[in-house]
Amino acid sequence: MSRYRVAMDIGGTFTDAVAYDEETGTYVAGKSSTTPQDLTDGVFGALGTVVDDPADVSFSVHGTTQGLNAFLQRRGVRVVLLATSGAGDVLHIARGNRTRLYDIHFRKPTPLVPRRDIVEIEGRLNAAGEEIAALDEAAIRAAARRARDEGAGGIAIAFLFAYLNPAHELRAAEIVAEEAPDLAISLSHQVAREWREYERTSSTVLDAYVAPIVKRYLGRLTGEMAARGLAVPMHVMQSNGGIVSAQAAAQQTLQTLLSGPVGGTMGGVALSRITGRPNLICVDMGGTSFDVSLVVDGKPDVSTEAELEGFPLLMPVVNIHTVGAGGGSLAYEEGGGLRVGPQSAGADPGPACYGRGGTEPTVTDANVVLGRVDPSWFAGGQMTLDVDAAKAAVAGLGDTLGLGTLELADGICAVANAKMAQAIRTLTVEKGIAPSDFALVAFGGAGPMHAAFLAAELEIPETIVPRFPGAFSAWGMLETEIRKDFARSFVQTLPTLDSAGLADALEAQEAEAYAALADEGIDRATGRVEHHVDLRYIGQEYTLTIPVLSADEPRGDTFTADLQARFDTTHAARFGHANPGAPIEFVAARSTGLGDKGRIEPTALDSDAGAEYPTERKEVVFGGAPVQATIVRRDDLPVGVSIDGPAVVVESTATTVVPPGQRLTVDPFGALVLQTDPRS
Amino acid sequence: MATRTIDPITTEIVRSAFTAAADEMNATLIRSAYTPIIYEMKDCSVALLSADHRVLGQSAGLPIFLGNLEVCTQLTEERFGRDAWQPGDVWLMNDSYLTGTHLNDMTVFGPIFHAGELAGFAACRAHWLDVGAKDPGGAMDSTDIWQDGIRIAPIKVAEGGVQRDDVTQLLGLNSRFSYPAMGDLGAQIACVRTGQSRLEAIIGRFGTETLELAREEIFAQTERFERAAIAAIPDGTYQAEGCIDGDGVGSGPCWVRVRVVVDGERMTIDLTDSDDMQRGPVNCGEAQAISACRVAYKLLVNPDNPPDGGAFRALDVDVRPGSLLAAQEPAPCQWYFTPLGLLIDLVVKALAEVMPEQAAGASYGDSMVIALSGMDQRGPAAAPWLLYEPTVGGWGAWDSSDGQDGLINNVNGSLKDMAIEVLETKYPVRLVHYGFRTDSGGPGRYRGGTGVIRRYVVEADSAELSLWFERSVTPAWGLLGGADATPPDVIVNPGGDDERHYLKASRVPLKRGDVVQTMTGGGGGYGDPREREVEAVRLDVLDGYVSEAAAREVYGWDGTT
Repeated sequence: MSRYRVAMDIGGTFTDAVAYDEETGTYVAGKSSTTPQDLTDGVFGALGTVVDDPADVSFSVHGTTQGLNAFLQRRGVRVVLLATSGAGDVLHIARGNRTRLYDIHFRKPTPLVPRRDIVEIEGRLNAAGEEIAALDEAAIRAAARRARDEGAGGIAIAFLFAYLNPAHELRAAEIVAEEAPDLAISLSHQVAREWREYERTSSTVLDAYVAPIVKRYLGRLTGEMAARGLAVPMHVMQSNGGIVSAQAAAQQTLQTLLSGPVGGTMGGVALSRITGRPNLICVDMGGTSFDVSLVVDGKPDVSTEAELEGFPLLMPVVNIHTVGAGGGSLAYEEGGGLRVGPQSAGADPGPACYGRGGTEPTVTDANVVLGRVDPSWFAGGQMTLDVDAAKAAVAGLGDTLGLGTLELADGICAVANAKMAQAIRTLTVEKGIAPSDFALVAFGGAGPMHAAFLAAELEIPETIVPRFPGAFSAWGMLETEIRKDFARSFVQTLPTLDSAGLADALEAQEAEAYAALADEGIDRATGRVEHHVDLRYIGQEYTLTIPVLSADEPRGDTFTADLQARFDTTHAARFGHANPGAPIEFVAARSTGLGDKGRIEPTALDSDAGAEYPTERKEVVFGGAPVQATIVRRDDLPVGVSIDGPAVVVESTATTVVPPGQRLTVDPFGALVLQTDPRS
Repeated sequence: MATRTIDPITTEIVRSAFTAAADEMNATLIRSAYTPIIYEMKDCSVALLSADHRVLGQSAGLPIFLGNLEVCTQLTEERFGRDAWQPGDVWLMNDSYLTGTHLNDMTVFGPIFHAGELAGFAACRAHWLDVGAKDPGGAMDSTDIWQDGIRIAPIKVAEGGVQRDDVTQLLGLNSRFSYPAMGDLGAQIACVRTGQSRLEAIIGRFGTETLELAREEIFAQTERFERAAIAAIPDGTYQAEGCIDGDGVGSGPCWVRVRVVVDGERMTIDLTDSDDMQRGPVNCGEAQAISACRVAYKLLVNPDNPPDGGAFRALDVDVRPGSLLAAQEPAPCQWYFTPLGLLIDLVVKALAEVMPEQAAGASYGDSMVIALSGMDQRGPAAAPWLLYEPTVGGWGAWDSSDGQDGLINNVNGSLKDMAIEVLETKYPVRLVHYGFRTDSGGPGRYRGGTGVIRRYVVEADSAELSLWFERSVTPAWGLLGGADATPPDVIVNPGGDDERHYLKASRVPLKRGDVVQTMTGGGGGYGDPREREVEAVRLDVLDGYVSEAAAREVYGWDGTT
């Protein structure tokens, strides 16, 4: 009988699974090694640790790295790009900017399509979307044949102004389909219906590059799942912070690309809702990564475009900021001083304590030396750490710098914490918000180890370590809604706005969004569509995404005044100033369909603060000197108990460090909440 | 008396706190600025300084703004005395001969006090859209500094925490775009205030004594690191020279001559043999010439670390007052960066023989600006329009890679080109071609990057064309046997009866349908082209970066694989 809601999330090392038992109201988490050769093996392995029979699953969601891996390893299909005559080099010029200022050896990322595989096609629209040169159909036919004969896997078609009028792209697709029916086709107006040809072309090429691989993977996975008895549709996590059916995901493969860490942010959104904390800084720290994202007013911080290894992607994504290298950050000497990061030991050889030949000390090694990591319980006992190697690495640098091993290990962590905290502060300052208005949520294997120190640096009053911190991303996926985004360029000024035209555009998108939700089994009663417009003061480059209350709001008499006020207020909050009354320009109209597939509302557990639980005492280093700390296993902790630091909470996927002067409490949802001890 | 010491851990935490404070100042400036030239082009820089005018932390938007904000606080103190610094005051200045750059760049700075003592300064510089030059934005043919705009020696723009109305109005009245100028001034003051509060917080956390020790140790580390890097360069005197085409008002070429002396742990860059200051606007103040030398030095010696007060201690720069690199009244300075882009490439060239791995062939060299303007009749009411854009070009090759094709010049930092779809939507212009310029990259074992061709068609009844294209006399040179690149060219109505070539021009009248084709130069090659791998040559031909004829003639390609 179906009673389990299950999430399976592929990570670099492990594939995590979290299941919620609808009958008992309890969660269980498990993991299996990720299997790069065929990711489905790891997925089934992880699923098997939480559910015996796939037929018992009532809802399933999946986060996959298949598309991202294909991109990162440059193992996508060969793509032929059809571009407008005179603009074929746009992909390679890539707007010509440099991202490293003091580097005469700076290189742009190598485009996924070499210049010889870009075919310029006659046919031109003007800035009003009107045809001023007819499409050269013979040239398209020839290009399609060539692509077919040379064994290309996909064709990307990106014509100028197609976001205004897709006729040329659609006709070109017809011709390609006639000549080369097996070739996957990606059209720029379908991938990203927005202006700026480089960004749109880059998105389309990336889509064409990975789409066949992601489709094949999803087809194989869902087929095999069904064969094993899964009776409900699979859902897939998207970069925009929503989920869709696997079937829909195969049509929007680009959206799966950056979905990996997004589950964690959505977990933060769920925590925010459940625990009533509107603003969260989510910190995901793994062995070699450190990702930061924000939940503001209970919503994920979503931006309308992203970048992947220097390639722009025009699509809504939850903002994930990668900051430094986390536990893999190397400590070294330079000019007689200590440095920590940005250089990283990476995953291979990794920190010295991994015992894979790394000899330079990392932040993880420092944590091991300090006694903050249980060497036999690292990654749930799947890896035993070499404490001596960690000590030797730290001691070696200590000799160079004239510092004792413990002192230096503490120092390495202190420097790493200071730098991570500063990076978080700069991120919030850029958005015009103060970190002290937030709570910190820490997850990933190493997040809870550093969180309390980061919070202290940032003057953040509360740190939360959720349940299953190592599988929080998977947990977050269980708490995520269906999401479908629709957008198009809408370039007009507010003073001369065609209000009916805007309402028409939003209503058309709303109809598309409801149709897409219906495909996911969500009707108009349970689904909803939210509308936004991208606005800016005329002359500005950056836009702000401002809500429109309903598709027909523009038809109202006060709309332009209301929208102006909304924009001015947001501008003042975000940039510190506004220019009330200055003319505003529209750039894009966006509509988002959202619908709940029956998320879980966890119930608060009763306090059991008086219950006994086993503890140990052990030496852990704080402030450069060993002190006696309380060591507990998280699974043993009753709801409602409080423990004063220094303490270390050990569990299978992570270690939570409670420094002296902080107090830990287990909240009614099982999360660990760390606060500065009022007595200290 | 025992020497006080500080541990490396505290030192490193303080160092990153200074850098983070500068980043935060920069974030404040960029997010509060009104004009895209600051928040999009990053034409700005910020610094946190100690009470003795040394850099604690710096964050530069443009590479060329490296380390010359301290000059401004120093000069102000020299003029008005140490007692002039009062809590809550904010100062402003833009005089080219003091700050080194053009008058558009406003430097805003204020003292920071802790427990009643002067503890440091926060400073920032940002490009204002218009400062009242003879032409909107800035002239291409000014012949004295007064044609460049309003000129301001250090002046208080806020006193005791209150912005001064009189000075603010003076500034507003002297800009054609006073509204954004006042917004940008507000952003700069906010940036200074951020620096003040961050430094106060740092002092509060670590204490004055610890900070002083940390600071000296931070500077010493940077100095040690840089001295070791210079010591690794063989001693000797290395020279290079090159010229910019002209001064914009008819004279030229103008020579920039660089002599680099490496002596143990010291480097001296001697610019004294460069030409005298010019009548046209290609001059710069001494401070900015020193800045450009620091950029070149940084490229080769210490590219990765943020600069601090210990940086550049091992570098001396000699300039000659009255030369175009240390201009004096009345020399105009609007295009101060044109000789500086060349200067940076020349320092790299001079040292290339002893630093072949760090060097690279020259880049296409300057901003290559096109301005098209007129009245737009497309809307219900005619409106003035101005399309103003730098153009990308080729960069030099180096010892393991071809140069980059179509990349923005060094001086423009991280500027992005304008999308065709945005350009055609905004302006009555059609951009019918934007692509690489075949054979423009300097041949070499590693090929120089190619320049680009951009072809504009005027779709208004009339328009005016202004151009600032440079480096035709000294196009990007190759290194170690690599060949020079093709210089730039601009053609109006190519192939027509009235075909004309330009490089610099002011307000050339155009009519509907006229075509302007800009072509930027490539980057210099690296190593003998005959040693280039055959497969690389074949792919260059296939990709169209190199013509088949050039492949045969220059690379000795036999047309097979």
